[in-house]
Amino acid sequence: MTTLLGWLSGLGLVAGLVMGFGVAPREVTQGNVQRIMYLHVPAVWVAYLAFMAGFVASIAYLARRRPGADRLAHAACEVGTLFLGVNIATGAIWGKPTWGTWWTWDARLTSVAVVFVMFLAYLLLRGAIDDHDRAGRYAAVLGIVATLNIPLVHFSVYWWRTLHQPPSLLKPGSSTMPSVILTALLVNFAALALLGAYFIARRARLLAAEEEALA
Amino acid sequence: MPDNWTYVAAAYALAAVVFGAYWLRLGRRERELATLAAPRGNRGAARTEAGAVRTDSNAGRPDHTSRSQAPSTTAHPRPEPASRPPLQP
Amino acid sequence: MAWKDLLVERRSKETLNALLFFSLALLFVFQFALGPDRERLAAVLPGLLWLGFILSGVLGLGRAFLVEHQNDCWEALLLTPGDKSAIYLGKLAGSLVLMAVVETLMLALFVVFFNVELGGALPGLALVIALGTIGIAAVGTLFAAMTAQARARELLFPVLLLPVLVPVLLGTVKATEALLLHEPLAAVAHWLKLLAAADVVYLAIGLLTFDVILEG
Repeated sequence: MTTLLGWLSGLGLVAGLVMGFGVAPREVTQGNVQRIMYLHVPAVWVAYLAFMAGFVASIAYLARRRPGADRLAHAACEVGTLFLGVNIATGAIWGKPTWGTWWTWDARLTSVAVVFVMFLAYLLLRGAIDDHDRAGRYAAVLGIVATLNIPLVHFSVYWWRTLHQPPSLLKPGSSTMPSVILTALLVNFAALALLGAYFIARRARLLAAEEEALA
Repeated sequence: MPDNWTYVAAAYALAAVVFGAYWLRLGRRERELATLAAPRGNRGAARTEAGAVRTDSNAGRPDHTSRSQAPSTTAHPRPEPASRPPLQP
Repeated sequence: MAWKDLLVERRSKETLNALLFFSLALLFVFQFALGPDRERLAAVLPGLLWLGFILSGVLGLGRAFLVEHQNDCWEALLLTPGDKSAIYLGKLAGSLVLMAVVETLMLALFVVFFNVELGGALPGLALVIALGTIGIAAVGTLFAAMTAQARARELLFPVLLLPVLVPVLLGTVKATEALLLHEPLAAVAHWLKLLAAADVVYLAIGLLTFDVILEG
């Protein structure tokens, strides 16, 4: 099952590359550097999906106390942090030629960075508690706090940067996005989502094996 | 607008390195655990075997000698020299 | 529970005294870091004020469960019959009182030393400070209990707490800034709503999950 997921995500990544570099045209205003978007944007979607999965698994663990839910929460938050890191790094690489700077304290960048640090702290807490059972419970609580905090972070950072301006929560120009580019984005999203699911499944299995070996 | 292909290549290469490294790490850890689990089972078996040998040889002796022997057998979880198979057949 | 903590606190007074001196020291640090330029100081004043509140809050909250930890009362805390959320509320109330005292003093120091004109802004400012402090203390009490049993506890606590508090910090700083410019309270209504929402979320999580933390 996990292996199948791995092969599927490999196929998906190839398809995504073909869509991003072969089918999608050169973007008019930004040039070919816009092709980073096919990696950058799906990565953050997958990361947030993983955090949602971690949130649900955390609640399930606190309610039912199945060790599987705890492992799923751990794996999902770790993989989500990984994808968010890729998102931030590729965003910086895209920003340098486009904006002329690696980083600006723009609303979206800042809020993503704050979420990234929150989940790094989550992984840190997991490592800092020796008692396995307790680490699972505390991490579940922190996972719930962090996920519920995401909308608060987004709103506060958004208002902080763009007060007294009409909120344009959608990306500028997203409504006029050509359908080819949108399709390429969606194909890459599917590919990265498969990759994320594959990583999570494999990480959860590995955690189970670790627990067994240490028991 | 220039194309900046180097930036595109850098972004995709970076993502490939990050995902690849994570994938390799998962695989390596899995193999480590597999090799860790296998000899562990053998060692456990050897320990019980050694314990069996000890209780056998100590069967008729008074308490204090068995007590003096006990640390050496527990500190070295290996079979007694006599119970080991010879190095060369 | 809160009563017990306050009683212990009043008898020892060590946390409170140390925190008061800490806020005084912070005042010097801010002054030396920014120089005597009045205008620059005025521009960053709300941020400095909340930085002071959060730093002293982190120090005070980090000690909230230290007494139990040092005196081996953690097990007694775990064995307390009845609703664990009562313990949470008690600890929270104790921390709130402590923080309120320190914040009042710090605000007074800022008014005197940095020449802040509060004027009619005080009621609004009090509301913002109350909402912000509840948010900091609600999530801080929860995290202090979580990190009490962890390795590198003193370091881990702020590392967990500070990123989570970003919305509270932004909301309070922006609202304070507007109020010190004598804007009406209605101008910061969206921040007040955000702070209230954050307080509700943090308090709800704290009340619902505290028995999970004190499980063993």
